[in-house]
Amino acid sequence: MDLAQSPDPIRSRPSVPLPVKIVVAGGFGVGKTTTVGAISDIAPLTTEAEMTEAALGIDNLGVESQKTTTTVAMDFGCVTIDQSLKLYLFGTPGQSRFGFMWDDLAHGALGALVVVDSNRLDDCYPAIDYFEHTGLPFIVGVNAFHGQLTHELTEIRWALAISDQIPVVRFDARERTSVRDALLVLLGTALNRALGEPSG
Amino acid sequence: MPDGRIRPYLRALVPVERFGGPAPTAAVTADPAITRVPRPFVLTSGRVTGTDPTIRLETQVTARYSGQRWDSPELSRLPSEMRNIVLLCAEPFSVAEIAAQLRLQLGVTKVLVGDLRAAGYLDVHVRNSADPSTPDVIQRVIDGLSAIT
Repeated sequence: MDLAQSPDPIRSRPSVPLPVKIVVAGGFGVGKTTTVGAISDIAPLTTEAEMTEAALGIDNLGVESQKTTTTVAMDFGCVTIDQSLKLYLFGTPGQSRFGFMWDDLAHGALGALVVVDSNRLDDCYPAIDYFEHTGLPFIVGVNAFHGQLTHELTEIRWALAISDQIPVVRFDARERTSVRDALLVLLGTALNRALGEPSG
Repeated sequence: MPDGRIRPYLRALVPVERFGGPAPTAAVTADPAITRVPRPFVLTSGRVTGTDPTIRLETQVTARYSGQRWDSPELSRLPSEMRNIVLLCAEPFSVAEIAAQLRLQLGVTKVLVGDLRAAGYLDVHVRNSADPSTPDVIQRVIDGLSAIT
């Protein structure tokens, strides 16, 4: 076989989109996958990541920790904004022991939507701690299961001890437009941040 | 290139790429030692760290050559997992999508993608600027999402 028969480099390659991403974080069963699926162009995909698990929290860096290996499933979807821009939504487990996984997820992300079940607020503390620490724009989305909230948003804000600058919104993870609106609140926060810090 | 050493099962395309030599022939692929392909964790030689940190979940990957088929001579030496990646990436796909579609673990996928890039099979479209969160990009996402009903 000579070189003339080799495959030609692609000349009219389909344009490669710029990928951007939003992290959808929260504890198990709070509706992360539902959120992703409601807005995604495609049915949510699942992939597994095998990772080293620090037995202690990510903030306890000074302490020698036992490390084991575990496998974490991650669901994600995407929204094709246009031919040159594709938005990925990564739903990730919110436990602090997976904090190192968030580094890969959060790097270069536009922001994070922390999904909260108002009955189980504790589940989202590690995610909020992480995003506050890294400075990634985030909002809290309280998933109204069956249209019901067990606490008022102001009570939830107080319980989460987050600053007034962090939006807390109520949304329904099953509703496409509701998820859209929550993401738009997040992106508004991200836009303000980007405009305020042009050098970043 | 982050990985200067090309794994033996990836060497098929390298002479063509680097030295202009002949492409591998069918006789090469008839070697029974090559047809017994290793499985993913063996393919990565247990590597899960030390991969190119610029290869991220959302990083777009495309095949360098068009029109390749399952039995193309350039692909026939590859283990099936790697061949599947090259074939899938006839269109742009993210690392996460490759992992999900081919049921490979993310870490394994990153390693294989990095190896296939080093061997000249794939283009990995790493962003030049570290942070895409510019006002312009964010505004385009806002406009795109706002159009969803």
